[in-house]
Amino acid sequence: MGFSIEASVKNVKTGVKKVREIHLSGLGEKLKAAAALFPDPRDVKLPKNKEEAKKFAHDFWCGKPHGERRLGELYCDKTGLYKHREWRGVKDTFYYFHMIWLYNYANMVMDIVKFGSPVTFVKGLWRYRWMGQTYLPVLHWFDRGLEGLRGEALRASAWHYRAMTCVTINQFMNMFEADGKLRNGAHNDAWHHAMAHKETVWGGIFYPWMDRFKHIPLEMVPYFVTCHVNNHTVLNYIDAVQSIGLPGDPCPMCQAEAGLFVLDDVPDYAPFLITSNEACDGSVASTAIQDWFWDRPLFAMPQPMQFDDPLVQEHCANEIRDCWKFIEEQTGVPFNWELLKENLEKQNELMRFEWEKWDVAAKTANYPINGVAQALYRIYQSQYGEHFIWHEVDKKVSKIMTKCVEKKIDTFPKTRHRVIAWSCSPLYYSNWCTWAYNCWGLNTVINMDSLMFDMEVRTDTLDNCVMDMARYHEWAPMRRMAVGGMHHIFELWDYMERFHCDMVMMYDQLQCKGMQGVVGLFEDEFRKRNIHAIWMPHALPDKRTVSRAEIRRIINDYMTTVMKEEPLDPSLLEFDDDMSW
Amino acid sequence: MSVKKKILKAALRKEAKRIKKAARRRHCGIGCRVLRLFGKLIALLATVYAALFAVFFFDLDGKLLYYVVEPLLVRHYDRMERKNPLEMPYEMKSE
Amino acid sequence: MRDLKHLIFFEKLLQEANNDLVKQAREEGRKALGYTCYFMPEVLLDIPGCFGVRLRAPRSGSPDMATYYMSNRTCHYGRALFERALEGGFNFLDANLATETCTVTCRFQEHLKQMDVIKNPDFFVEFTDVPFKKNENSMVHFRKQLQAHVLDPLKERFGVDTSDAALIAAIEEHNEVCRLISEIGAYRKLDNPPITGFEFHIIQLVTLTCPKYLILPYLRETAEELKTREPEPKSPYRCRVVLSGAENDDPDFTGLIESCGALVVADRYCYGSLPGREEIVVAEGQSPLDAIARHYLNTSYCPRFMPQQDMRSRKKYLADLVREYRADGLIVVSNKFCEYWSYERTMDALILPRDYNIPTCSIEKEYVNASTGQLRTRFQAFVESVEIKKLQEAK
Repeated sequence: MGFSIEASVKNVKTGVKKVREIHLSGLGEKLKAAAALFPDPRDVKLPKNKEEAKKFAHDFWCGKPHGERRLGELYCDKTGLYKHREWRGVKDTFYYFHMIWLYNYANMVMDIVKFGSPVTFVKGLWRYRWMGQTYLPVLHWFDRGLEGLRGEALRASAWHYRAMTCVTINQFMNMFEADGKLRNGAHNDAWHHAMAHKETVWGGIFYPWMDRFKHIPLEMVPYFVTCHVNNHTVLNYIDAVQSIGLPGDPCPMCQAEAGLFVLDDVPDYAPFLITSNEACDGSVASTAIQDWFWDRPLFAMPQPMQFDDPLVQEHCANEIRDCWKFIEEQTGVPFNWELLKENLEKQNELMRFEWEKWDVAAKTANYPINGVAQALYRIYQSQYGEHFIWHEVDKKVSKIMTKCVEKKIDTFPKTRHRVIAWSCSPLYYSNWCTWAYNCWGLNTVINMDSLMFDMEVRTDTLDNCVMDMARYHEWAPMRRMAVGGMHHIFELWDYMERFHCDMVMMYDQLQCKGMQGVVGLFEDEFRKRNIHAIWMPHALPDKRTVSRAEIRRIINDYMTTVMKEEPLDPSLLEFDDDMSW
Repeated sequence: MSVKKKILKAALRKEAKRIKKAARRRHCGIGCRVLRLFGKLIALLATVYAALFAVFFFDLDGKLLYYVVEPLLVRHYDRMERKNPLEMPYEMKSE
Repeated sequence: MRDLKHLIFFEKLLQEANNDLVKQAREEGRKALGYTCYFMPEVLLDIPGCFGVRLRAPRSGSPDMATYYMSNRTCHYGRALFERALEGGFNFLDANLATETCTVTCRFQEHLKQMDVIKNPDFFVEFTDVPFKKNENSMVHFRKQLQAHVLDPLKERFGVDTSDAALIAAIEEHNEVCRLISEIGAYRKLDNPPITGFEFHIIQLVTLTCPKYLILPYLRETAEELKTREPEPKSPYRCRVVLSGAENDDPDFTGLIESCGALVVADRYCYGSLPGREEIVVAEGQSPLDAIARHYLNTSYCPRFMPQQDMRSRKKYLADLVREYRADGLIVVSNKFCEYWSYERTMDALILPRDYNIPTCSIEKEYVNASTGQLRTRFQAFVESVEIKKLQEAK
């Protein structure tokens, strides 16, 4: 007879056992994976004797010395998440917890409420990929840039990040408050009082209307800032524009700017657009696609290329005047000289403080801003223009910097080499300099983009003001060094001397035709002048061309084979952060 | 001890606690109550603080965002219906 | 068709930048002025005492030395020019009148300025700033730039007469070239033209790369010859195309297209005649330099122009050309690593079929055409698709 109760029960028990095994084995894998996200308690080495106990207590209180930190072991494999955040000693860890982590989370919420409404924020987050995919993990961007920092360097650099976060929130809230796409196509009062412009148009152009209008760069928040915070977002836009037939070789910044439109990921927030030729051919060319997809009144305000030529200045100034006329026509609101003056004078204050910072950076070992904070803050602040937060933050940073100088605090005590970073940096790895300092003692003191817009704007008369504004435009990021004659890009040697740098990090943006066009002469000059220069290839926002790991490998190779140095923190030599933000 | 007896004992213990608490409340003055409330608040804040610190120290915010929030949002964005910009007209504009 | 009398001579001239006519002009004491871009008004370089040579690098191989200086991620055209300069192929130049109009050719010219490449002690490079718009501000600016960076240096360094009279003379000579080229080019509008695109390309190129006063007699003869040239009884071509795009100084590329059955009836590319061979008109009371500045800005359809109406009118211009030359389709070509034309070509390939019902073939190529097999396949497929479309429309 086939059927037997005992056999059936046995089968059921075997079946249940098998199912349980499957689940448990799957559960086991999952538990293992989850456990790998956290520190292994077995790794904690408790002190065995009095000496070790003293060291343990000291390390707990003050944080481990640089060479013992083993920061690489904090990373979760591939994701770049932390098994646990760094223990920087009691004081700095709790400073980080209170004044960076909690403070910024709280202020982000307050900024959203201050600059708009939480409901609009949620709508915008739900609608736009660049918002939801990028800006929620913003504190991790802080973490990556501030790894290993202690004391005044931690404090000052973090303030810079705070300011950038505030301005970013201000911008996207302004976009969302005016966005017709969040209101079924309806254009509200905010829409009528917004001015859109390419991110490379300096915000100062709009100062004369700042009391009643908000100027909002088109791509700064949807594209530029996203690359630093979550380098995956921009890949969607690059792929989108290539899917409509654009070749892969044009500058990926311009590709992404056009790709935002291809993916219909640009808010409908303003009635007109101001464009520019800053910084290059790609910028001009991508505007044609942007114009097609956005289809509204457009004013092109190009700057001359040969900007050393005194003959071009009047032409450039006239373009600015024409731009103002266009804005008057579009808005119906006249130009306000007093408002322009007032905001320019505030901006000049920011410039003067920046010069003070450069002075400290160049002449002392007491400069409390790390390479990534210096670079990002400077380009953001100078390109965007006047905002209250820059002044607030500069006051705090000024106090810290004064303290460092007066007390001769060596803010980066493990500096082995003072580095100047030249050309356009990899946006997806802007914090490479934090890693480089922690691993090799390479202190990136200054970078090329910081040195743009290096002037005050006169406000004595309107004519002088406009001429200076023309010059200011010509000295915008990238173009200040990359166009108008090779002698500009070779100002590197003067800046090396001025900032007492003994090493160059030569950013090698593979898709920048301007910079690719001078590689040979740079090689010749580096050899002739016997300068240690590391070429860092990258594709600006696109991490797929040259990965972060490849960048680290290149630096590691140079430091071991040419400089013959040992790493300060060997755990940072090799790790996989391929899927990290 | 049988299960029934264990349950009964636990219930009796709970009842005794409740009676003691009620008696204490009857004999407690306003100052005492305020202090007790304050104590509870401190305890709550301390718990919240410790929890926040745990979130901070173990990067739980990052892990939540990376493994839960971002994948959900990305799936939503990938599935969103989008306007096809190639349908935008390309008309001549006057100066 | 009977061979054009001077075609082989023209082809020979195009084999070298320093060709026989260039050598002759130099021997006669004229200054050879190199340039790369339409925005450097060739008429100014042809004032008495000088002649313009639009730079090419024919028969280029692999630009290894230039690649060291400019990496292999820049436009091959710019690198090929630099390679030719490093090889000594441009040592005949007395000056290079440069423009910062596209990044890579600008870098090439900056290398000429920075390095001692041209073995001529009198050689200099002078840059002119070119505006991005066609408004009055830009016209005035461009005129001032041409005065300061073209005419004044020529006068100071070479003692060349840059007076209005000299400019008028140059304009007259230039206009005659334009009339002849336009006359020759107009034959392409005929159903069965007596000239091929390949032949036209060669003729147009020699007017850019040889001294005008020396090429004019040949040009006049060619124009005369074409009046009586009999085309093939039946056109051997299966369709007619407008060839648009970026830098294109290789007649063999046009020849390749035509060997696939598509007659090139209009040349809207850098080094082409549309635009490029419109006569310069000097109005009553207008300075010739002002007329020249306005002419070169107004006639250009370069993707460098930024105002909205200028960007959008480029598509209409192409569509108008297709209509005027009764073309069946459009081929848009750009060199790899050309930023401007990468975007322009992408938009052309999307908008022209959609809005103007013009079949469009979009091609990316290198300056040196190594992959002719692949290009041939593309063009053949395009010709077939155009034929099919014509058949379907006929039905």
